[in-house]
Amino acid sequence: MKAFDYERPSTFEDACRILHAAGGSKKVLAGGTDLIVKTRHKVMAPEGVVSLKDVPGLSDISFDPEKGLFIGPMLRLSDVETADAVKTQYPALAAAVATIGSTQVRNRATIGGNICNAAPSADSPPILMAYGASVVIGDGKNEREVLLEDFFTGPGETVLRVGEIVKQIVVPAPPQNIFAIYIKAARSALDIALVGVALLAVFDPADRVVKDLKVALAAVAPTPVRSRQMERIVIGNKLDDTIIEKAVVESCTDACSITDIRTTEGYRDTLVETHTRQALEAARSWIEKGGVL
Amino acid sequence: MKGNIIGKRIPRIDSVPKATGTAEYTVDLKLPGMIYGKILRSPLPHARIKSLDVSAAEALPGVCAVITAADVPMGKFSFFQWLADKTIFSSDKVRYVGDEVAAVAAIDADTAEKAIELIQVDYDPLPAVFETEEAMTADAPLIHDQESNIGFKVERHFGDPDNAFESCDFVVEGCYKTDRVAHCCLEVSNCVASWTPEGRLSIWTNAQAPHTQRQEVARILEIPLQDVRIINSHMGGGFGSKLVMDMKLPIAAVLSKKTGRPVKIQNTRAEEFSTAKTRYGYTMYVKTGAKKDGTLQARTVRVIADNGAYHDKGPATLNFSSMMFATLYNIPNIHYEGMVVYTNKQMSTAFRGFGNPQLTFACEVQLDELAEKIGMDPVEIRRINANTPGQKLQCGAVVPTCGLRECIEVAAQNIAWKEKYNRKDKLRGVGVANMVHTAAGGRYYGYNATDSFIKVADDGTVSIVTPGLEMGQGVHTVVAMIVAEELGLDMKSVKVLSNDTDLTPYDLGSWGSRATFVVGNAALATAREARVVIIETAAKMLDTKPEFIDLENGMAVARGPGMPEKSVSMGKLAAYAINNMKAPISVKGQWADDIPEDWDIKTEFVKNVRSFAFATQTCEVEIDKDTGEVKVLKFVAAHETGTTMNEMLAEGQIEGAVMQGIGFTLMESMTLDNGRVVNDGFLDYKLPTFGEQPEIDVQLIETGDPHGPYGAKGIGEAGLVPTAAALANAIYNASGIRVTELPITREFMLNALREK
Amino acid sequence: MKRELNITINGQPYNLFVSTHRTLLEVIRDDLDLTGTKVGCEMGECGACTVIMDGRTVNSCLVLAHEAEGCEVQTIEDLTEDGKLHPIQESFVEHGAIQCGFCTSGMIMSTKGLLEKNPNPGEDEIRSEMRGNLCRCTGYVKIVEAIEAVRDGGDK
Repeated sequence: MKAFDYERPSTFEDACRILHAAGGSKKVLAGGTDLIVKTRHKVMAPEGVVSLKDVPGLSDISFDPEKGLFIGPMLRLSDVETADAVKTQYPALAAAVATIGSTQVRNRATIGGNICNAAPSADSPPILMAYGASVVIGDGKNEREVLLEDFFTGPGETVLRVGEIVKQIVVPAPPQNIFAIYIKAARSALDIALVGVALLAVFDPADRVVKDLKVALAAVAPTPVRSRQMERIVIGNKLDDTIIEKAVVESCTDACSITDIRTTEGYRDTLVETHTRQALEAARSWIEKGGVL
Repeated sequence: MKGNIIGKRIPRIDSVPKATGTAEYTVDLKLPGMIYGKILRSPLPHARIKSLDVSAAEALPGVCAVITAADVPMGKFSFFQWLADKTIFSSDKVRYVGDEVAAVAAIDADTAEKAIELIQVDYDPLPAVFETEEAMTADAPLIHDQESNIGFKVERHFGDPDNAFESCDFVVEGCYKTDRVAHCCLEVSNCVASWTPEGRLSIWTNAQAPHTQRQEVARILEIPLQDVRIINSHMGGGFGSKLVMDMKLPIAAVLSKKTGRPVKIQNTRAEEFSTAKTRYGYTMYVKTGAKKDGTLQARTVRVIADNGAYHDKGPATLNFSSMMFATLYNIPNIHYEGMVVYTNKQMSTAFRGFGNPQLTFACEVQLDELAEKIGMDPVEIRRINANTPGQKLQCGAVVPTCGLRECIEVAAQNIAWKEKYNRKDKLRGVGVANMVHTAAGGRYYGYNATDSFIKVADDGTVSIVTPGLEMGQGVHTVVAMIVAEELGLDMKSVKVLSNDTDLTPYDLGSWGSRATFVVGNAALATAREARVVIIETAAKMLDTKPEFIDLENGMAVARGPGMPEKSVSMGKLAAYAINNMKAPISVKGQWADDIPEDWDIKTEFVKNVRSFAFATQTCEVEIDKDTGEVKVLKFVAAHETGTTMNEMLAEGQIEGAVMQGIGFTLMESMTLDNGRVVNDGFLDYKLPTFGEQPEIDVQLIETGDPHGPYGAKGIGEAGLVPTAAALANAIYNASGIRVTELPITREFMLNALREK
Repeated sequence: MKRELNITINGQPYNLFVSTHRTLLEVIRDDLDLTGTKVGCEMGECGACTVIMDGRTVNSCLVLAHEAEGCEVQTIEDLTEDGKLHPIQESFVEHGAIQCGFCTSGMIMSTKGLLEKNPNPGEDEIRSEMRGNLCRCTGYVKIVEAIEAVRDGGDK
């Protein structure tokens, strides 16, 4: 592997300062499970890496029933998956994270890394987008909060400016009467997503109408993408056969799948339709049972 | 047979070192002063080399040597030397992405990698060809200086298939394709080369056939055979990929010679995927005809095998699959035409089954089509065409034992064939396939024999020196079991010495399911010889007759009419032999396959195999109508073992092979972009994981064997030979979709389901 | 560039001087000669290099050595006690879960990580938790049997 420098600042401000001074030639090192692979494969050749290991507070997680969930970007995926607040309040996030890589990878990889790599196929962003998550970005002096769905600008690209680091992931408190699910299509038990479908529906238990719906897709566009066209069809309606069919027809409208070494554009679109239908059917059955299993 | 040892579920003798991490593999080896080599490989599939400049690499600090075609012997080489077509380095043109162009040795791997990037090569790209049938056309670019890209051809013919088809009630024809797949040994190909001050070359490497690779190294380097020594360590998988010498061996040797230091060259995983050779991809045009009672009358096949850029095991693969093709059923009229065709891709080589899995896929899928046309149950058509023990086949082969009917019965029963085959469940189905495979390697070399030695130490340890090449399949354990069985010992008292061509007798290596058969037979002969000597010694020591002596529990025990029982330990016996008889106990034993002297491989190709093993596999699958995913629910693998030497190891061989077969059928494929392997890691070359493993019910059918040790047959490869066909047939039963091409991707299945 | 690295491996504290781009796997194998940990793909896909770091299984090929500063790392070499096999090792041996053995160290370390997290995993959990360890020889059947036997207290 090509040599690179390694720095391990002990404050967030120092980390930002080093990154800023390097003008983009140094990369943030979170879990490293992607950075090392890319460097070894010569997809990336950083001059140096800036480890966040010693920056305090970046692995914290807390939940407030009013304000929601606050996750430090350095929290390991296995800790996201098993955190009580995630398991009880955001079970679809726990389920999505559990599909990522292997146990060994989830024991190293971080939630911040899974987001900031901006891989179109990443499993946590779509479900976080469905939950309405945003990221708090800091540069050592100022902070700004960006909705996750506005965070990604292309494959491997985000709104992060040189010297900025994601400081926290904020997930709003889940409203009452919701159903959320993440479905991943893959080639084997150990794979990245061919397609990922995240869905969150807020419904009125009295008349079973879907009041709000967020659907986000992985691996079908240069960034994780909301399926807004489809959401519009469902919102304000009950999930019956007609609405589900109409929604499925529109499930790929906001996607622009490509053919790559993993599969074809056509198969990706089919998988989006299939798993969107499954997600909507699951939502319907949940709503019909009054939101209990 | 159940002996004290043979037939038992005995743990492998190397499992404790492997479980504790103390077993040393070649990748673990570090010699004093060792430096690291790296090969510069062609980035283009087909190109002329216009110029080569190594000066910047040579100038890099830490670089010890840079070598190119100018520094090495440039005689052409191939496994079959009469087909020699490859030099150590390409000097004029490169023929695939990965072809060796130059190499460096440096103080560490990072420096070597950096140096490689500093070598300037100016290429003039040539048109490349990647598909065999395209490579066979008149205007295809020629890869070698030959008239066409067809590198080798073989034909087998008997009976009169053309006429026979005329008289058949049913005839089916089709084209079938299998993809090139990678062995994916977890330990990558690697070696360390080092010269002694006297000028002898030692190479530590993971080789399945160290003695023949020793010859290959001497041949390509143009040095005397006695100057080459190959040493194996524990080996992280073989599966056919490590039969023929890899060019990194002579390259490391030349780098070591030039620098005077040991040189290690180790593939990266990406290099392994791009250059470590693949299974021969087969395109097969098959035609089969039968009477309306289901009896097979005629079969013809045309095999076009994808050679890649250079020759390797192509002729052996074609020959072998022709033989199995003619032996599985007794078909009176057969024509087989096979050819290997050059393409601008990495070389192909042997891979568990030598072409038999490919051709069995085609033939056994077609047999189901035929059965359907006739209106016959797939199990029934296999049953009526199955060979029987002692049968002499039309092709000339004799099958002295044949457990195929038993295999069919148990495989059908354990998958609940009768109830499931006719079930009209949506998208669930069962499939069946038969196979025959060699149980004893092949006789291509005109030589199929080996020796071993046993010595008894005065501490009671019995050591056997064997050339049996352990690559994970368990031959060292089998050899130790044979010695323990014959000499009344426990497993701990037997030591297996191996892995060094300076130490071990000549042997052809571990391939073709031959190790237990050939090496095991030699071990048995040696142990029986040792038994005689030990008993004679004991008789002298205990003052009785040899016929009253038995060997048990590490002791020689004398029991006779009217005499008190006496016994002596193996250690004391050995000491007695040394001190009192002035003759330490050490013996040699041999097994030699009685290859007929007048045998002509061209006309009597079926005699290439000493013993056959038959098998039937059945399976049940379920297809997801929305994604096309084929979920394998269960496999039954009923395999003829002759005599099961070690149930646990035999099951392990078959379970592992079935999983490789599932990968071959459903998941694995090399994806190329202008000749470059793009899925060159486990991320995108999908191997079966824990998540894809179905229940595998292994049934071992003991039919004996007239030539195998204790009647055992080799079973190393058989487990994946019928797997693809059984799966494809189950998919048909579930969906009505006839699959003729591997791998069967989800996308293919989904599209096919939607078209229906 | 090299820098100081303080790390505890198999209970032994080390004070090393290591290049900044090297991985934990390279330090374990090349610098400390603990070659029981295997190198299979260097991409975190095969699991052959699995070690336990601060109580969790990791692919040591995906951990920069300096990220293990101050950490406790356990490798396969640390499992036997006074020459006695660890129950997981014993079970792998007894159940025929080993063939070529190249994946074995990683398999055993992953099993240890799994059973420490949940001593009573069901078959599905075993398969899911172990999915990051590839084996090309055994077809996994006997590895699952070996793990289940350890879970059940060993049926030796």
